[in-house]
Amino acid sequence: MLLSLVSKRSLEVDSRDAYGFALRPQHVQRYQEYLSIYTEEETERAEKWKNFLDRQEDRTAEPCSSDEEFQDTFQADGLESGEDSDSESEEGSRNGKHEDCELSGTSEQQLEQDRTETVGDVSKETEPAEEALVLDKSLRSDTESVKDEEEEKFESDKDKESSVGSESESDEEQQSQAVKEPVDHVHIQQEEKLVAEEDKCESGHEEKAQKETKAPRSVIEWAHIRPCLASIEDMMCSRVKNVKSTKNGQKNIVDDHASSIKESLSSIEESGENDRDSETSTSRSHSIKEENEAQGSVSPEPFFPWYEELEVLVRLGVPKDLRGEVWQAFVGVKARRVERYYQDLLAQITNSDENSSDVQRKWKKQIEKDIPRTFPGHPALNENGRDSLRRILLAYACHNPSVGYCQAMNFFAGLLLLLMPEENAFWTLVGIIDDYFDGYYTEEMIESQVDQLVFEELMRERFPKLGSLFSSDIQVSLHIFLPYTEQCDRFFYSNNPPDAVNHLDYLGVQVAWISGPWFLSIFVNIIPWECVLRMWDVLLFEGNRVVLFRTAFAIMELYGPAIVATKDAGDAITSLQSLASSTFDSSQLVLTACMGYISTNEARLEELRKIHRPAVLEIVEERIQKGRVWKDKKGLASKLYSFKHEGSILDHEQKSTQRNDGENQDDDDESCSPFLNLDGANVDSEVDSLPDLQEQVVWMKVELCRLLEEKRSAVMRAEELEIALMEMVKEDNRLELSARIEQLERDVRELKQVLSDKKEQETAMLQVLMKVEQDQKLTEDARINAEQDAAAQRYAVHVLQEKNEKLVTQLAQMEKKLVTAETTLEATLQYESGQNKALSSSPRFTRTTTESPKKKTGFLSFGLGWRDRNKAKQTEESNVDNTSNAASEAKSPSKESVNLSKENKSEDLLDPETRR
Amino acid sequence: MGCASSLPDRNSGTLSGLSNSENAVPADAKNLRVKLVLLGDSGVGKSCIVLRFVRGQFDATSKVTVGASFLSQTIALQDSTTVKFEIWDTAGQERYSALAPLYYRGAGVAVIVYDITSPESFKKAQYWVKELQKHGSPDIVMALVGNKADLHEKREVPTEDGMELAEKNGMFFIETSAKTADNINQLFEEIGKRLPRPAPSS
Repeated sequence: MLLSLVSKRSLEVDSRDAYGFALRPQHVQRYQEYLSIYTEEETERAEKWKNFLDRQEDRTAEPCSSDEEFQDTFQADGLESGEDSDSESEEGSRNGKHEDCELSGTSEQQLEQDRTETVGDVSKETEPAEEALVLDKSLRSDTESVKDEEEEKFESDKDKESSVGSESESDEEQQSQAVKEPVDHVHIQQEEKLVAEEDKCESGHEEKAQKETKAPRSVIEWAHIRPCLASIEDMMCSRVKNVKSTKNGQKNIVDDHASSIKESLSSIEESGENDRDSETSTSRSHSIKEENEAQGSVSPEPFFPWYEELEVLVRLGVPKDLRGEVWQAFVGVKARRVERYYQDLLAQITNSDENSSDVQRKWKKQIEKDIPRTFPGHPALNENGRDSLRRILLAYACHNPSVGYCQAMNFFAGLLLLLMPEENAFWTLVGIIDDYFDGYYTEEMIESQVDQLVFEELMRERFPKLGSLFSSDIQVSLHIFLPYTEQCDRFFYSNNPPDAVNHLDYLGVQVAWISGPWFLSIFVNIIPWECVLRMWDVLLFEGNRVVLFRTAFAIMELYGPAIVATKDAGDAITSLQSLASSTFDSSQLVLTACMGYISTNEARLEELRKIHRPAVLEIVEERIQKGRVWKDKKGLASKLYSFKHEGSILDHEQKSTQRNDGENQDDDDESCSPFLNLDGANVDSEVDSLPDLQEQVVWMKVELCRLLEEKRSAVMRAEELEIALMEMVKEDNRLELSARIEQLERDVRELKQVLSDKKEQETAMLQVLMKVEQDQKLTEDARINAEQDAAAQRYAVHVLQEKNEKLVTQLAQMEKKLVTAETTLEATLQYESGQNKALSSSPRFTRTTTESPKKKTGFLSFGLGWRDRNKAKQTEESNVDNTSNAASEAKSPSKESVNLSKENKSEDLLDPETRR
Repeated sequence: MGCASSLPDRNSGTLSGLSNSENAVPADAKNLRVKLVLLGDSGVGKSCIVLRFVRGQFDATSKVTVGASFLSQTIALQDSTTVKFEIWDTAGQERYSALAPLYYRGAGVAVIVYDITSPESFKKAQYWVKELQKHGSPDIVMALVGNKADLHEKREVPTEDGMELAEKNGMFFIETSAKTADNINQLFEEIGKRLPRPAPSS
């Protein structure tokens, strides 16, 4: 056993992080990369916190006195127990056989301590952060002998307690103090300094004091910071009180339901003893709460101006050295703690070893199973650490039987134990489970289921694309018992957004598959430790579960794209898991969560929880009902079976009562008890008086069994049918939906086609329009030209007409002149002929022939003479000469020629215009 | 006893539309894909079986499973079909059974595990058989596994009891040891063989 541990340890030493937690081999490399960032961040935030707390200290004039009391009680406890164990040491010699392991444990503890020391040495080389631990170990080794003695005493005390059974009150007190003693020794990591300090006080070694000053700053800081933290603690404590008082107001409502469930639950339990037990302990815890309220004079909520600053600091992370204390302050351990309560619980546990109820035994068994499986191989969880863990878990189960023990709490308790002393860890756990996670880890896990529904709804809201990756049957599967219509509604509702329909929709992954474990484990073992702790910082500070949602969103946001790229459910989940577990950038994660999802707040969550809670409650009640039927039936059947086998049901019943009465009896005794009892007088009389009744009872039982069996099968059948129907409906819906989608897609395609056609048409029209416009412009131009032409032509016509007129007048003049000239000519001719006749009238013909040239010359001379006469008009005449041709031509076809000339002229006129 | 299972991943990513979120509906006849859920009492070795099957590792002090954890693994059968198991390993504590329907609904295979040294875990296995018959898919393939077979000197549940329970409920039965890897691969191969094959699509 030890050997295997050692070999395993050597394997794992280098695959552990600064907190001593195992790293997955594939993450070692990345962790190393981030280690420097972590240390950088760490120093930065240590600085900031120191700064903040210094100012805090300045603000608070006087240190918190109650805190010192707290401290005092610790030390007093230690001292007292030392004395007690001294006085009782001689008594502890008897050993019960059930304590065997613990006896041998004392010798093994030495080995275990050695082991952790070597581990500490190794880690010193790699992680400077653990120097403190190593130093403490050296301190411890000094006091080891003393401690071992004390532990032996403790064992003996315990033995004595358990063997004697019930003892006087004072003895019990002493015993619980003795329990406290080793508890102090088990504190892990930094808190051991405190223990060392106590040891120092007890033994009064001077050298240790010197060592102490050399030892890590946290010891010095412990004294320093304590008053400053007290102000934070006060704030948180007032919150705790407020919560309590409001809770009391609402309690009635909640209690109604809880009690109904509890009742039905408890009725299932075979032993009534347990009920009484749980009742007493709940009533005890109630009284404690009341006590608390009475004790802490509830001050009206003071104003904390530094709250926001603190919030920012918390989001940046709490320094390692302070974390344990700061967490306690956040949870308000001071307001929750009740003096001696934890010790009393422990005493009760050791006392009630034999007469504990079934349920308690079940928890105990489960805790035993889980302790070695809690951070296996962690150097701090050695034998002592595990004992602390066991005590915390058992004490909690005792403290709050409605939760008892739930897997996951082992991790929380283990984590807390690494950061603070045992009792503080217990109270912090109480705060977390009772308050922050109220109803989360109970038998039915109602709030956990509610949160999953809320988370899924918010996921769909936040990441419609990604959300569509997840199928909606979480609703269906969770609401298997709900009426059919409601299921359909849900189905339609969640499938309705059409944009969610893509191939990812069919991966069939349900959000709750993944987020369920995230929430239940509060991300422990899900994301790297640095992230877990940073998230817990915020969680404990804020005092509600909002940050769970925000962190889950942040992870989804970070890895959404990667998930969308996956092709089937398996790949999607695997990649999300492995990506989440390699989220080493803690700052990015926490800040994304806190800044990016502010709208996800407690009020909104509460609202959604209210909506989803009834559905979960309905299912839970259904389950309980069924469970009862099943168990009842089983009980009856087994009785019937035993009756058939042993011939008498009474025997069996007596046997069971026998078992209840005489618990000390051995099995052998019991097996022969029926025969022994048959001889007993009272039994004989009973048997004699009962034959008829007995028969009746047997008959009725058989009948009842039959009926129950029938009922069960009927119920089963109905359920099966319902499921089948649901399946069919689902299938149908799918087909229908897919058909609709197809149709819609077709429509869309058609519409698109039409649209593109229209577009084409439009462009064509546009082109045509443009052409028309161009044409229009051309025609306009043409028109303008034409108009101009017309004007020019008109002008030309005008000019020509003028000319024409002139010419006509000239022509008329010329004709006149011609007429005059002709008349003169005729006159001359007549004159000449008269002369000729007078001169020679004989040879007429010759005369005429000779006459013609004369006539011509005469005409010519006349012409010349005429010309000379009109010398003044010569220019005009030349003009007339020139135009005479045209004029003569113009005379007959005047119009055509005018047109022609017009055209010519218009062309001439056009030219300069076009040029222009 | 290595894992004969580290085969290349199934190459078909084709999702044939509507129905593959339910049951063991494979993408095609040669590459099956199935959701498998492990149920059983706390500490019977569910996680160890999965780790042995998927990673070939065994760690006696493995972590407590909170809620559920997921792993997937592909194996090749003799008829050259490959089966990709999407394995949901659930938490064993009784109260977590409230969440179990979330995981076994729509699962094609349920592996119910008990510890051969613990009669109590066998009782719990019977409970799971009933629960699945009531609420599981009607065509779910169920296997009953008696784990920790290496601890035969501490055996308290006879093999015959397991066989009887399996036979009565039409289950496949095998005793395994995650520690020695005995029968682990056989378990999954046998399950693979029993998976309903898709009708060849026309």
